Amino acid sequence: MNLIQRLKIWKELRRLEARVREEPSPSTFVDLGQVFLNLDMPERALQAADDGLLLFPDSADLKKLRTFARRGVDRSRIDELRSRLNKNPTNRLYGELVSILSESGDAGALHATCEEWSVRFPQDTGPWVWLGQFHLQGFYRSIAARDGVEAVSCLERAIGLDSEQVRPRVLLAELLYRIGATQRARTLLDAVPTDGDDSELQSLRQKVANTRSLGNDVERLLQSAEENGLLPNAPPIADSATTRGDDGIGAIRDALAAIAEMEGVQKAAYIRGTRALVKGDIKDGKDPFLRTVRVIAKAGHRYSRRLDVGSFKRGVIQGPFGVLCICCYGEVLAAVQCTATSPTERILAELQEVVASSLYAMGVSQ
Amino acid sequence: MNPIQETLEDLRRTNGVKACMVLTNDGLVVAQSLGARFREDIVAGLSSYLAMTTNKALEEGGLGKFDSFTLHAAHGKSVFHDIGEAVLVVLLDQFADLDGSRREIQSAAQRLRRSARIG
Repeated sequence: MNLIQRLKIWKELRRLEARVREEPSPSTFVDLGQVFLNLDMPERALQAADDGLLLFPDSADLKKLRTFARRGVDRSRIDELRSRLNKNPTNRLYGELVSILSESGDAGALHATCEEWSVRFPQDTGPWVWLGQFHLQGFYRSIAARDGVEAVSCLERAIGLDSEQVRPRVLLAELLYRIGATQRARTLLDAVPTDGDDSELQSLRQKVANTRSLGNDVERLLQSAEENGLLPNAPPIADSATTRGDDGIGAIRDALAAIAEMEGVQKAAYIRGTRALVKGDIKDGKDPFLRTVRVIAKAGHRYSRRLDVGSFKRGVIQGPFGVLCICCYGEVLAAVQCTATSPTERILAELQEVVASSLYAMGVSQ
Repeated sequence: MNPIQETLEDLRRTNGVKACMVLTNDGLVVAQSLGARFREDIVAGLSSYLAMTTNKALEEGGLGKFDSFTLHAAHGKSVFHDIGEAVLVVLLDQFADLDGSRREIQSAAQRLRRSARIG
């Protein structure tokens, strides 16, 4: 970029900064952030997005800008850490790098870095704990047996390297408890000294002690969780859902009712595990529509995962019946059957909002 | 090159389209334009699984069969179009503008439907 171009951009920047103060709106913040990105200043773009989101928390454009700016900030930090690692590799630097990669969700880079870390420091448990955590997140999100198996293998490897480390033991014990292998979970927890227990670990110990074991064949239990789309023992999100009371569900019910009122919408449903909320032309939980969308969402999950394109988010199915819109996140799904002339994009956006807000209510977004 | 293959090659040149394939309803590959990134057997197997499961679920729910199914995943999009005795499967990247490529996909589906009928 030459000097004249730079001066022009700086002039534009001053104008936009004044506009943001005088007439704040999502678009003025986005324009300002865009200029910062053009100037290769992702931190300032991130700041602009954050400032904008304080005033307009629901703006999709500002959320996009934030994601984009965050990626820019992460990229520069990753480059810096990479060059430091090339000169003088240490466990701490690898840990920092992997933490950023994990936050950005870059699975490929995370795997490659952990592999490099484990080759350079074969006695360090760090790469295996990180990989285990990454696969655990994937497993809790989509209940995919493959992720569960990987998580178990990585965490067992970490425990093998340092049997006194508490974190991999607790993570593995929790996973085993969730899938029903409580006996194995108990054995793992028994090896963790009780003097440093926090409230979460105490509660896990209690749950493990009071729950009947479904067996010790971890692979079979993971497979059965995937097939049922459910964990036998409530996932971590369930506790916070119950402590928050019915507020989340009330808001979801209202949002679903609003969707059912939209032009052309015939049926609307929100499904979480085995429970469903229904609105519109649905009599009860036995309506075949619920089974249809459940089966399609599950097939969509399997297809996406095995094709290696991440998790299934949305599906739009058109046919003689009109349009089926499905939005998913893990075990939560919201779906609508509407006429062919309905505003599909708007309906999908509303469904996504329902799914996202229900996850927030359950504490997943934290 | 036969007209079906030609249609697929044209479609793959559309912005955002990474691969496309025509499958019979029972999963046999009629023609494909996948490039080096995808394996024919994997795409065919998964696509026929999704198309068949979806149609079965819709039929069991009394809704008939789908005309088109657009799937958005975290790192990619897929479009399935019923073309009579077969299904057109189009794989797109996650940033692909579906509104922009919809016309090309629909016109390809129409041409394929015609080719299949003549064939």
